[in-house]
Amino acid sequence: MDAFKLMKELRVNYEQEAHYLPKETGLSLIESTTEDDSRISAKCRDAKVEDLWSLTSFFGYSTQTFVLAVNLLDRFLAMIRIQPKHLSCVSVSCLHMAAKVTEEECNLAPTGDLIRIGQCRFTVSDLCRMEKIVAEKLNFKSKAITALTFLHLYHQIALSHSTDRKEKLSLEKLEAQLKACLCRISFSKAKPSVLALSLLRQEIEGVRSEDMLEIAYHIQRHLKITDGELLLWSERVARCLSDYASPECSKPNHKKLQWIVSRRTAQNLHSYRVVPELPTIPEGCWDESESEDSCEDMMSSGEESLSSSLGSDAEGPFFPLHLRRQKHRQPLHA
Amino acid sequence: METTKLPPTSPSSPTTSFSVPSAEKVDGFPRRSMRRARQRRSHSSSQFRYQSSQVELTPLPLLKDAPVAELHDLFCKKLQQCCVLFDFLDCVADLKGKEIKRAALNELVESVATSRGVLIEPLYPEAIKMISVNIFRTLPPSENPEFDPEEDEPTLEASWPHLQLVYEFFLRFLESPDFQPSMAKRYVDQKFVLQLLELFDSEDPREREYLKTILHRVYGKLLGLRAYIRKQINNIFLRFIYETEHFNGVAELLEILGSIINGFALPLKAEHKQFLVRVLIPLHTAKSLSIFHAQLAYCVVQFMEKDATVTEYIIRGLLKYWPKTCTQKEVMFLGEIEEILDVIEPSQFIRVQEPLFKQIAACISSPHFQVAERALYFWNNEYILSLIEENCQVILPLVFATLYRVSKEHWNQTIVSLIYNVLKTFMEMNSKLFDDLTASYKVEKQKEMKRERERADLWRGLEEHQDRRMQMVTEAARNQRNLQERGERGDPPTPSSPQTAHSDQPEPKISGASSSSSGAGESAT
Repeated sequence: MDAFKLMKELRVNYEQEAHYLPKETGLSLIESTTEDDSRISAKCRDAKVEDLWSLTSFFGYSTQTFVLAVNLLDRFLAMIRIQPKHLSCVSVSCLHMAAKVTEEECNLAPTGDLIRIGQCRFTVSDLCRMEKIVAEKLNFKSKAITALTFLHLYHQIALSHSTDRKEKLSLEKLEAQLKACLCRISFSKAKPSVLALSLLRQEIEGVRSEDMLEIAYHIQRHLKITDGELLLWSERVARCLSDYASPECSKPNHKKLQWIVSRRTAQNLHSYRVVPELPTIPEGCWDESESEDSCEDMMSSGEESLSSSLGSDAEGPFFPLHLRRQKHRQPLHA
Repeated sequence: METTKLPPTSPSSPTTSFSVPSAEKVDGFPRRSMRRARQRRSHSSSQFRYQSSQVELTPLPLLKDAPVAELHDLFCKKLQQCCVLFDFLDCVADLKGKEIKRAALNELVESVATSRGVLIEPLYPEAIKMISVNIFRTLPPSENPEFDPEEDEPTLEASWPHLQLVYEFFLRFLESPDFQPSMAKRYVDQKFVLQLLELFDSEDPREREYLKTILHRVYGKLLGLRAYIRKQINNIFLRFIYETEHFNGVAELLEILGSIINGFALPLKAEHKQFLVRVLIPLHTAKSLSIFHAQLAYCVVQFMEKDATVTEYIIRGLLKYWPKTCTQKEVMFLGEIEEILDVIEPSQFIRVQEPLFKQIAACISSPHFQVAERALYFWNNEYILSLIEENCQVILPLVFATLYRVSKEHWNQTIVSLIYNVLKTFMEMNSKLFDDLTASYKVEKQKEMKRERERADLWRGLEEHQDRRMQMVTEAARNQRNLQERGERGDPPTPSSPQTAHSDQPEPKISGASSSSSGAGESAT
């Protein structure tokens, strides 16, 4: 697509994006909720979105599916108050709906598999019912304009303007970063176009390309995004990404996952811990010197001078001693 | 034909031996039918030397009734009586004598166990003599030449009614508060100990149980014999590993060793480390590992707890001997690795993590579900998880590709769920690393697919080329025939034949061309 068409499409999407934003008041309500059994909190939602990302990644769904699923989820949660115990069902339905829209028929994972792998407590029929409810509440607007839409457009625009440039922006990397941002509910409040532009600028600043920066300004002016707004979200994005990129590994939440093994393996798991019946016999340093036999004397003197090279075969005194001991060998009881 | 060397067969047992060479048992499916076909034999006794001219035993007065002055003398006499051996193969022979001996032995046991001041110096040689005479014998050859310790019932010792009491007596003797090691060591010498160790090859598990406890006490109390005992055990193990692959008492000896290793003084002597590397690790290669694996693993872990520097030797040793075809063993090895990792020091872990996790990745992709499960279950262990987390950068790339691939391909749904758990755990540990690896994995996959497509295209191209060639040839043949017919009929010649129109490149001869067109085919090339 040529640059002009791209810009036009950009404009169109920009005008439409407001329709797909989750209600801000709803999101704020979730953010302000403390950990509670009766209401969804931000932490709750974020954990669930991470689970959705795991499932997306595991079943090989595209980032588009994930982003769309999060969008559906946020729109729903901002509108309807649900109990935390239903969150799992809602989120998986959103994922399934998004997959149906985005993925090819043959790549769709069966709902049974989704439920089993996700270790969910509800059934396939529960899932179907929930899907219908979500679709209804969202007025069947399953396809949405998301930050990913804009990201793709921006990327294409950047590419078309700089085909002779060495530096290429990696779309994969941008998508991964977007995914990291979406795992925090605060970013759902941002306008998709602004969020995408913030990500783009972060990346451009990272590769230090003046020309790309120029393109980014161009886009900003075209869409009439204010500096203030862009700056605000750029800062937040920067913070989020620095957490994401930190090489420190965080301790995973171990308790959430169920580890089911087959009966046979489970039986053998703990049959290993042998409780010793025989009491310990402490080794004394006087052991060898107490003996009368010459063999012990040889042994003890050999040990002192031993330079234990454990790698050499039959080099250490242990083996040769044994061979030298032939003459001392007691006749076997006949 | 490789058969283990056996002592001469007992005169009482018939020999229907058709010894199946051990090499044939490789496939692991023992031929039960063969075993059943054998005659059922009665339990054998190992008393070859029993006296044919039987000494008549006269019952002696009870020890508890004896006056103190005569006690020791009576004790001695009873000991001497117990030196007479009886034939238990024949159930009805010498019943009276057997009962007298049994009662005497019982009394002796009671006496040593309960009374004080019984063990005086002159008694030591008599007691040891009685014990030696009773227990030291050549063990009979196994009733079952294919005896599989895991599956078959062991052949029990026929003279157990007496033998058990002798062992009991020996044990009480050693454990008695009056026992004097300095006196005993004159009689319990190296020769004695060597014979004792040979008895560990008995098929009767009750006998081995006694021997184990007895040897443990001997080792504990007679310090002068310790080095000798260790050396002889070494010899037994080495013979077992490298020569015979047969010894029934490995588990019991390992149990004793466990208590010895537990008591090692620090720093660890070189002799002990050599034992670990040259005997304990190679012991893992034995076919019958499952019998004694629990004890072996315990010994190995004890070594690690004593001295962390041996860790690397242990793990590299296990990796070297990793079973390649026996999945039952693989599961055992994985269990042992988990036990080792449970106590490993983080600094040691770092030294072995790369080869270790490469092997774990290989296990995860094993088609045998138990092996894969066991390997994946490591991620359920909190301590191992913390080790992995500290070294995520190194470990994740090693297992990532395997995890992804197996999740798509494995037949077993439990495995697939476990893999999801592991992937999710990694994702939570370090998202960026995970995403990077996912991206590069996808790129690799794309490249692979591209290569596949190119290869398919190449073949298709070749086939099309082949078809075209065939077409050309048949057309040329047809034209040739037309020309001939026209020539015969006298028609005017047609414009230039299509034969010459085609490429000059040498092309492979096409088989199946009809004989009339073969000339035409050749002229076109």
